[in-house]
Amino acid sequence: MLPFWLIFPTVAVLLAIQVYPALYTIWLSLHERQPAGWEWVGPRNFDRLFKMGLFGESVGHTALFLVGYTGLTLLLGFFIALLLNRKLKLSGLYVTLLFIPWVIADIIVGIVFRLLVVPDYGLLAGILQNPALFPPEGLSVLTASRAAAWVGDFPFPPAPAMIYLILASTWKALPFIILLLLAAMQTVSAEVIESSRIDGANSSQVVRHILVPLMLPTLVVALFSLTLSGMNGVGMVFSLTGGGPGSSTEVLSYMLYTLGWRQLEFGRAAALALLIAAINWLLILGTLRVTRLEERNV
Amino acid sequence: MQRTWTLWFLGVLSLLLAACAAAPPATEGEATESEAAAPAAQDFVTWYQYDEKNEDPASDERVGNQYLRDTIPLFNEAFAGKWNWVNQPKAWDRMSAEIIAAVQSGGDVPDLYEMGTGGGDVGVFYRNGVMQDLRPWAEAQPWYSEMDPSALAACTGPDGGLYCIPIAERPHLVYVWADRFPNGYPKTPEAFLVEAERLKAEGLYAMTFLGSTAFDGTGTTRAVWTTVSSFGGKFDDGAGAMTLNTPANIAAIEFLRTVVQSDYAPEIAFAGNFQEEEAFKDASAGSFPTGLFGYRYINPLTAPDGTQYSKGNEEDMLDAIAAGDVVLTPFLAAEGQKPGCEISVTGFAIPVGAQNPEAAYDYINWILTPEQNADWVLRPGAGFPALQSTRQSEQFQTPFYQQASEAISASACSPWSGSLERPLEAQKLIMNVVYKLIKEDPSADIAAELQAVEDEYNAAN
Repeated sequence: MLPFWLIFPTVAVLLAIQVYPALYTIWLSLHERQPAGWEWVGPRNFDRLFKMGLFGESVGHTALFLVGYTGLTLLLGFFIALLLNRKLKLSGLYVTLLFIPWVIADIIVGIVFRLLVVPDYGLLAGILQNPALFPPEGLSVLTASRAAAWVGDFPFPPAPAMIYLILASTWKALPFIILLLLAAMQTVSAEVIESSRIDGANSSQVVRHILVPLMLPTLVVALFSLTLSGMNGVGMVFSLTGGGPGSSTEVLSYMLYTLGWRQLEFGRAAALALLIAAINWLLILGTLRVTRLEERNV
Repeated sequence: MQRTWTLWFLGVLSLLLAACAAAPPATEGEATESEAAAPAAQDFVTWYQYDEKNEDPASDERVGNQYLRDTIPLFNEAFAGKWNWVNQPKAWDRMSAEIIAAVQSGGDVPDLYEMGTGGGDVGVFYRNGVMQDLRPWAEAQPWYSEMDPSALAACTGPDGGLYCIPIAERPHLVYVWADRFPNGYPKTPEAFLVEAERLKAEGLYAMTFLGSTAFDGTGTTRAVWTTVSSFGGKFDDGAGAMTLNTPANIAAIEFLRTVVQSDYAPEIAFAGNFQEEEAFKDASAGSFPTGLFGYRYINPLTAPDGTQYSKGNEEDMLDAIAAGDVVLTPFLAAEGQKPGCEISVTGFAIPVGAQNPEAAYDYINWILTPEQNADWVLRPGAGFPALQSTRQSEQFQTPFYQQASEAISASACSPWSGSLERPLEAQKLIMNVVYKLIKEDPSADIAAELQAVEDEYNAAN
């Protein structure tokens, strides 16, 4: 009996904060609120969700955001980690300074970035809205419309606000990724790199054939972390663009927030929450599969 | 040794738990003399968007905050020994969600909920079974016959139940810098465009408005509805279905498209976060169709002649109106139509599961007394009294209220959502499509886009 009682608190907590809400979300997704109470509607909430014009649009925005956000953050994070790994003077200070954005809340980052580009009086508005620099009419980041889609309804090229959202999110996430990658980089044995140099490898070959394969598990962790935070984060969209202009930065997580807590459509919001959870699982499983294949090739 | 430490730890933990546990109720014999002398007043819990503990003079909600600070002691004095008013402040844009969650989860709900109908809350609350039907009680009260019927209608649910008691009406109108329109504010779309072109030549804008899709399309309820209704348009068929693709609606959107595409409105109109107000504050935009209560937030002001109204509070707009720099007018109207506008009410509702509905009844009756009513309407209400007898009160004979009254009398104001049962969903759909048509894709087919949104909404009816 002792093992049961030892494990019981953990199981109880998991049941209370993980299993029960998950089951309740499933229940909610199959019901709709009516004046008389909850009414069983089966898959109707999912059906309505798929028929919403905004749903398809949000899937496209989310894909675009995730690719831009994870790609840019990993690329910049890796590059900056490489620089910091070169035993620069004051590298400790640089790391400390670089870490500052990580401790600022998403909402605050969104507000600050918003204030930089608000039309007419934003700190950078004078530069961005200068027609000489951004012809023909200058660039108003928060209100400029997206260009016509190149392929079907997929929202590419993105609106300037989406690019700005990616930049702001990257700025916020970068410090953690830098530290993660820097720590992994420092575990790579100097002898291995030295041997490759002796064998004639140049810098890019060292990165491609030594550092990246040896850091692959950490890169996967970083990718997981970025994908999940990008997929589920609401704060930055909320405070920076509010899903606009129009609906050009409406991503799935923000749509979930608005469906549930603005429109108070709990049934449909629960259906969307389940879909987002499924997408998260697919992304994670897909990444793991690709990584295992990569590791085998290595 | 380890065992001793474990015992110590468990002992300390037990003491802590015991300390945290609630004290046992006092027995009759233990009651203090003071308790025996004065019966304990029961808590009367309210949810207001205002916070009496917030004394920040720069707070957007300062007027309501101060009102509560002034009034809570008065109420407690009036009902000494019976009720003790405990206010729980809530964020204005999350109150609805919180009350629905609280009622449906069987959690703690307030005895009284400060409620506005502008966001279509009556329909949402009705659908979620959140508020009590107050009609039987209200009809038995002496003030009921004095209520403006349209205010009562705004609180009426689809089943005919009365889900709030209206205290103040909040109509929409147009704030105008008088110097920007020396010949008066245009009365027709055609005249407006002529004036707009003149102002554009001077480097100015004819109008600013909430043109963004921010706040889940609340722009629908403001200038968009004002324009649509001024062209004789509607968003519903009166039986719960959305009707967007109508000639009147198309004409209204064509007008807004012209205003935007001709640069008669500033870019900041689309920036969200109510930043469209900035263009009116510095008089770069000559007019601003918005809610009557907007005067609270649109400050400080710089008049076209450079006069500064810089107290940084609601007095700036009132001063500008008193000085004649700003005038309140009805919106323009298409031929054969009256200027349209949104009208909503603020008042009180009693949630299902309220512990002390009797306290809420006492409170509502108290607020509707001549001594309290005008004060509530002027401060947290920020509108016109729903109680017709209060309108004669001296406090409503100021230039602001007189001009507003004339503007509203000349308009045909109605709730934007009509019979739509999912107003929050509708307002977002409508604002998204309007934004697309007037700003993002000015070549898009208006009728086709409106029809697509109409079909999407109605498919779920």
